[in-house]
Amino acid sequence: MDFSVINDNIEFLMLGLMRSFQLAIFTIVLSLTIACFIAIGRVSSKRSIRYPSAIFVNLLRSNPLILIVFWFFFLVPLITGKTLPEFHTVLIAFVVFFAAYFAEIVRSGIQSVGSSQVKAALSTGLTYSQSMRLIVLPQALRNMLPALVTECVIVFQGTTIAYVIGMREFLHSTSLVAERTVRPVELYLFAALVYLVICFTGTRLALFLEKNKELAR
Amino acid sequence: MTLPLVQINNLSLRYGNFVALDDISIDFMPGTCVVICGPSGSGKSSLLRCVNRLEDFGTGDVIFDGQSLKSAHNISKIRSNIGMVFQHFELYPHLSVMNNITLAPRYVNGINRDEAEAKAHKLLERVGILDQANKYPDELSGGQQQRAAIARALALEPKLMLFDEPTSALDPEMISEVLQVMRDLARNGMTMLVVTHEMGFARDVADEVVFMDKGKVIERNASGNFFDNPQSDRAKEFIDRVLQKI
Repeated sequence: MDFSVINDNIEFLMLGLMRSFQLAIFTIVLSLTIACFIAIGRVSSKRSIRYPSAIFVNLLRSNPLILIVFWFFFLVPLITGKTLPEFHTVLIAFVVFFAAYFAEIVRSGIQSVGSSQVKAALSTGLTYSQSMRLIVLPQALRNMLPALVTECVIVFQGTTIAYVIGMREFLHSTSLVAERTVRPVELYLFAALVYLVICFTGTRLALFLEKNKELAR
Repeated sequence: MTLPLVQINNLSLRYGNFVALDDISIDFMPGTCVVICGPSGSGKSSLLRCVNRLEDFGTGDVIFDGQSLKSAHNISKIRSNIGMVFQHFELYPHLSVMNNITLAPRYVNGINRDEAEAKAHKLLERVGILDQANKYPDELSGGQQQRAAIARALALEPKLMLFDEPTSALDPEMISEVLQVMRDLARNGMTMLVVTHEMGFARDVADEVVFMDKGKVIERNASGNFFDNPQSDRAKEFIDRVLQKI
């Protein structure tokens, strides 16, 4: 085995890794923001808000990510007549898909806080949205942090799906170098090591947060 | 002529088939301390939660300080004039005692942090836990938490204080410290509606006692009369049972 092939192509590989990180970070920030609204909708007492939120979550969670990516890649250009760059296409698909998963985590976090805290907040004259923002969500976030970190790891692993529509993320970059240099063993071992380090760190962090919830006060 | 601070008119509340409150009409004058007592499930806490519309009542209305709660569009504003203390304290665990108290004045009344903290200092001094200001609720004893919760409820200078079994979740030795704070409040003329099983407090501090059973007000009496000469058989039975326990 000759691992010098990695060093020779490190810049190209790191560009791919940066792209993967970019996709994961944009996905996490945008989908988590949307997820907060959907989760509040899921626990709303109004059916007109609760039902559409539930439909969105269940529809997305009942489909594989790759199908959502295909849907945005093949169908949206057919409907709109416009083609988006690969990164944007994948990002939109990822945001929509992971918003549903994050929404369920946020919903369970909200429900873990309990309605008596909302009642206490309302009794002091805070509005419902202030109660959610100032009292419920900060506590919910603390309770759901381990699950959120785990989901972020899944998002990062999920970035490899972008390969199927040709986006040059880390796995795709690795694959291109492997084909060009005919050194698949070294390169895929390297890729596995990189994913292992990143994802293992994430899962350890989740475990640490789980054990030390009070640190996240 | 002084008008009632709270007027409850034909109030009913149901949970499915269970009637929690059954056509209740009663009013409370400003500056009085009224204890509401009765057996479990009699509707005492439900009645209290209707007074600040934490419970959406079915029929009837509550008029607070001349404003109908049923048709109120500014319910948050009305609630800021009604402090409430809960059985399980319900302090915000992610905020320090100081922030628990200053949150509502800052966000509801829009006063700045320094002013809110200066006021909170006075309140914490009043309830005797000034030294706990920067601690988090889980670092406090039950009695201290409840006193912090009273300070939080007082922070908006409410016209009415609601106490929902404020000592039921406390160890016996901590009950007296909370009752002392409530005694001081009553002595200073705060209008108070107190759901409690503390009959000593009812007899010594309350101006009136309202006895409830099965969602109805069975008896309303001056506190001395209620204990010495209850009018209804149901109230007599209740007092006998409570006194036997003591």
